Amino acid sequence: MSLDLTGLSISGVHDLGGRAEHFAAVQHDPDEPAFRERWEARVFGIVLAVHTVLGKSVDEFRYEVEQLPAPQYFRSYQARMLAALEKELERDGYLVGGELDAKISGQPAGESRRGSRARPRLIPLAVRILASPIVPRWVGAQVLPQVFGGARRTRRPPMFAVGDTVKVRPRRDGHTRQPGYVTGKTGVVTEHQGAALLPDARAVRRREPPQHLYTVAFDGRELWGSHAEDGTEVRIDLYEPYLERA
Amino acid sequence: MSDDAMATRIEALEELLTEKGLVDPETVDRLIDHYTNRVGPMNGAKVIARAWVDPAYKRRLLADGTRAIAEFGFPGPGAACIKVVANTPEIHNVVVCTLCSCYPRSVLGVAPSWYKSPAYRSRMVAEPRALLREMGLDLDARVQIRVWDSSGEARFLVLPLRPEGTDDLSEADLAELVTRDAMIGVAEVVWSGP
Repeated sequence: MSLDLTGLSISGVHDLGGRAEHFAAVQHDPDEPAFRERWEARVFGIVLAVHTVLGKSVDEFRYEVEQLPAPQYFRSYQARMLAALEKELERDGYLVGGELDAKISGQPAGESRRGSRARPRLIPLAVRILASPIVPRWVGAQVLPQVFGGARRTRRPPMFAVGDTVKVRPRRDGHTRQPGYVTGKTGVVTEHQGAALLPDARAVRRREPPQHLYTVAFDGRELWGSHAEDGTEVRIDLYEPYLERA
Repeated sequence: MSDDAMATRIEALEELLTEKGLVDPETVDRLIDHYTNRVGPMNGAKVIARAWVDPAYKRRLLADGTRAIAEFGFPGPGAACIKVVANTPEIHNVVVCTLCSCYPRSVLGVAPSWYKSPAYRSRMVAEPRALLREMGLDLDARVQIRVWDSSGEARFLVLPLRPEGTDDLSEADLAELVTRDAMIGVAEVVWSGP
């Protein structure tokens, strides 16, 4: 059975904005350390290292995380990351189902080993640069945004201008950065952010030209109706294909 | 799963991936050290303090956060695109990521778990005033709340209001006052005097 994630009715497990079933007290600790336990730090570092080696975009991994079943998604954050990493490694053939469990219980991995097609690559240098104590100003201003960000130039003129009223398209499919709670809602363009690669395409390694990106302001009343608090608004960056003229 | 079970699992995975040549444990150590010791809210605090004492820097920061923050040389992929949003007496800014947990790592380090929690992510867009009050920030009803949902390229950093009575403080002293919570927008910067 495949889940229908289009439209307003059903949202992905990760699409949490305004979802009342998750409303609870926030366990807020102003002094929380970067990592609570050593294993959490290890998961964080390994996820980052593996993605650097494999040249994965953040969108591909996000899509993996979003497809986790709810019980795995709603574990602690680093447990969720580990579950998604395992799924991703299996999908790409670097791990075969049961291989990790066999390793833990001390069973020979046998057949599953041959399933992996990993090849060693050199990344320590990249990480050395990435994690250097200080980077030159031009690297921070020009190189990092190109390497790690999705911002790109386009010659296509933008469809919308600051001040335009726009409506968010009713449909959503696969991985998207269009949250459920703004879907079908009307807002006003407050900024044009240039253009960027569309995450929906990047998540599945589909090549597409860059799309214009806009900041859109939504009044609380538009989003939440009579439940809205007075004097509140949400601003969110939305890609041109998500928007229609209102 | 318990912490022990998780520790066993990630240790086994690290061994497997090391054998396969996908992971170099020293590189992992380096990444963890970087995000534990070298980047964190102290980076963002320096940016905020500079903006408070230097009006020309504040203009550059609000016009192009990525470029102005690059003047400090903070490293890492989190620096790809940072937008700084300034609080005013009339408008309070607060940041959330409803779809995942986007966060300006190069200036704030690793996101705290409450920021990544389903409760924060679901509520902040829908009832920011009530949630901020619960978290200890009771804003005047006349203050407009602007919630930034990080969904595109930009990661958001809040430029809090400089507390009154701090005219004599140095840039370094001011940076000491700036907290992670204030730069996410769930707190104000406070100064209780010398």
